[in-house]
Amino acid sequence: MAEGLTGRVKPSPAEAAGPEAEPGARPGPEVVRAEGLAFGYPGRMVLRGVDLSVRAGELVALIGLNGCGKSTFLKLAAGLLTPSGGRVLLDGDDVTRLPRRTAARRVALLHQSAPTVPGLTVRQLVRQGRYAARGPLGMLREGDDEVTSRALADVGVAAWADRPVDALSGGERQRVRLAMALAQDARVLFLDEPTTYLDLRHQLEVLQTVVRLRAERRLTVVMVLHDLNHAARFADRIVALREGRVAADGPPAEVVTRRLLAEVLGVEGRVGIDSEGGWPVCYPDHPLDPLQLLRNENHIH
Amino acid sequence: MTLIETVPGPARRALRAPGVRMACLALLVAAVACADLFAGRGVTPEGVREVLLGGGDPTAEHIVLQLRLPRLLVALVAGACLGVAGLVLQSALRNPLAGPEVTGVTPGAVLGAVAATGLGLAGWESPTAVVVAACLGGFAGAGLLWLLAGREAGDPEQTAVYGVLVSAVLAGLTAVVLLVAPGELGSVVQWLIGSTEGRVWQHWNLLWPWAAFWGAAAWLLAGPLTLLRCGDEQASAAGLATGRGRGAALVCAVALTAGAVSAVGALGFVGLLVPHLALAVFGADLRITLPGAALLGATVVCGADAAAQLLSRLLATALEADRLTLPVGALTTFVGAGLLMAVARRRADER
Repeated sequence: MAEGLTGRVKPSPAEAAGPEAEPGARPGPEVVRAEGLAFGYPGRMVLRGVDLSVRAGELVALIGLNGCGKSTFLKLAAGLLTPSGGRVLLDGDDVTRLPRRTAARRVALLHQSAPTVPGLTVRQLVRQGRYAARGPLGMLREGDDEVTSRALADVGVAAWADRPVDALSGGERQRVRLAMALAQDARVLFLDEPTTYLDLRHQLEVLQTVVRLRAERRLTVVMVLHDLNHAARFADRIVALREGRVAADGPPAEVVTRRLLAEVLGVEGRVGIDSEGGWPVCYPDHPLDPLQLLRNENHIH
Repeated sequence: MTLIETVPGPARRALRAPGVRMACLALLVAAVACADLFAGRGVTPEGVREVLLGGGDPTAEHIVLQLRLPRLLVALVAGACLGVAGLVLQSALRNPLAGPEVTGVTPGAVLGAVAATGLGLAGWESPTAVVVAACLGGFAGAGLLWLLAGREAGDPEQTAVYGVLVSAVLAGLTAVVLLVAPGELGSVVQWLIGSTEGRVWQHWNLLWPWAAFWGAAAWLLAGPLTLLRCGDEQASAAGLATGRGRGAALVCAVALTAGAVSAVGALGFVGLLVPHLALAVFGADLRITLPGAALLGATVVCGADAAAQLLSRLLATALEADRLTLPVGALTTFVGAGLLMAVARRRADER
């Protein structure tokens, strides 16, 4: 099976992980389950009851407008925030009941951005990902260096392991932070907009790394993406959030439609099919004006 | 860009190994310790040498073994405490401008010590009570800052502003205590400026176990502290309970500062600037940099003490004022203020 998995990630365009290439008939056990998940700040509800189940080995893309609760969902699911309603089960355990360290051994979350630490080298930063796996006092354990080196190699940054992180470019830094998340050695990986601030080349680099690692390490990946075309191409399932609720959930070929563009992203556009890869491609034309949006909302309710 | 890059030639390669750097620093500590031992008045350098070799007259022996040696050791350990406390504070608060002096910890500890002395509960004769009072004061000062800064604790500049406010208030309260109970004014003023004059073996016996315990505790927190420097979001995603980690670090920092303050008073700027030096020399791995900060703090305070004694001797002969002594705290404050301006300017340039 490992051969089949690694064989699939060769960068030939037809084989990159589009929906058709996915072994959809292999549903693993449920690893993440959100039940009626709600979260809000005083005066503003962010999530209003999200039900979502992610199975082992899935690559799920979360899409939606700014402020629709995508990042909040990831933080709640990783146990970094406490929900105001509902719950999240990680491998069957309520994540808020798990000690922080245990939760971090099960799920790694790559935040959208992070402050840089002056003087910290790439290897030192990536090694920080080993914190949860260490003893209670944070002393280094046997095998830590091995996992760190593997994580560095996985994202292709081993060559600059001893360079300071703050001297790297944005794209390089993002890969280093991905390596830090990988060093947690968790089977579930949450990525919050891993491609923000990156140019097209680096976006593809990061996404292809994620797809490759997901196959090699048999990870379960949930990532927030802004680019619907990236989501349609790389994910095998798209979950669209709108005003704190799940508005659509399914494989890209079913979910990516004109209606999704209009109702979830608020744009008028067309949807085609990639002639080589077979995944849906959307061509957004213009933002819908508020009146039309309102009509769409009535249509949904 | 670290200090190491400025060293030319093959020496740079050797200096890349932290062990070599640590050894160099240990040699430096030994050198300033010797300088401190030989620098004072009353006994000539030859006299000191004779005592150390087992000879010398009883007066010289008393001065060297009962006065200078404990003073030297207290200066070394107090400096180490302040250096480590500063690095722990700056890492835990993710704030390069945090130091025990500007986060209310040192002024609080001074207030505690002065108030306890004023109330007659403590004095130089009962150093244990001073340590306890200084600890309580240090926690109160840090707590006051915590309350004031509240949600903005993550913003370095904002916290620094509140820290200056808290420090001013605490210093004012200290002045009130001094005015109300001026009994032991002379000895109390030493706390305000920071001085190693008159420290004896009793101080040393109290200081070193305290410093060793809390120093070891701080070193065990190196992992969480390094993560805290990466930001709370990243730290908690990596599995650190940030609140608890930060709390433990602050307890260590306050305890170390209080120990140092009860022994030598409020030595200005050591806790604020030694961490910057330590990070520049040893890099961001706190498992190495924390001991490095201890050695650097010891070097700085002991070196300043030696320089202060030397200057006192020169000034005394120049001004023909026999009793004139320059407190070490005055020297560290002068040098520290200059260095702080350099740091602040570099930060401004980086923007």
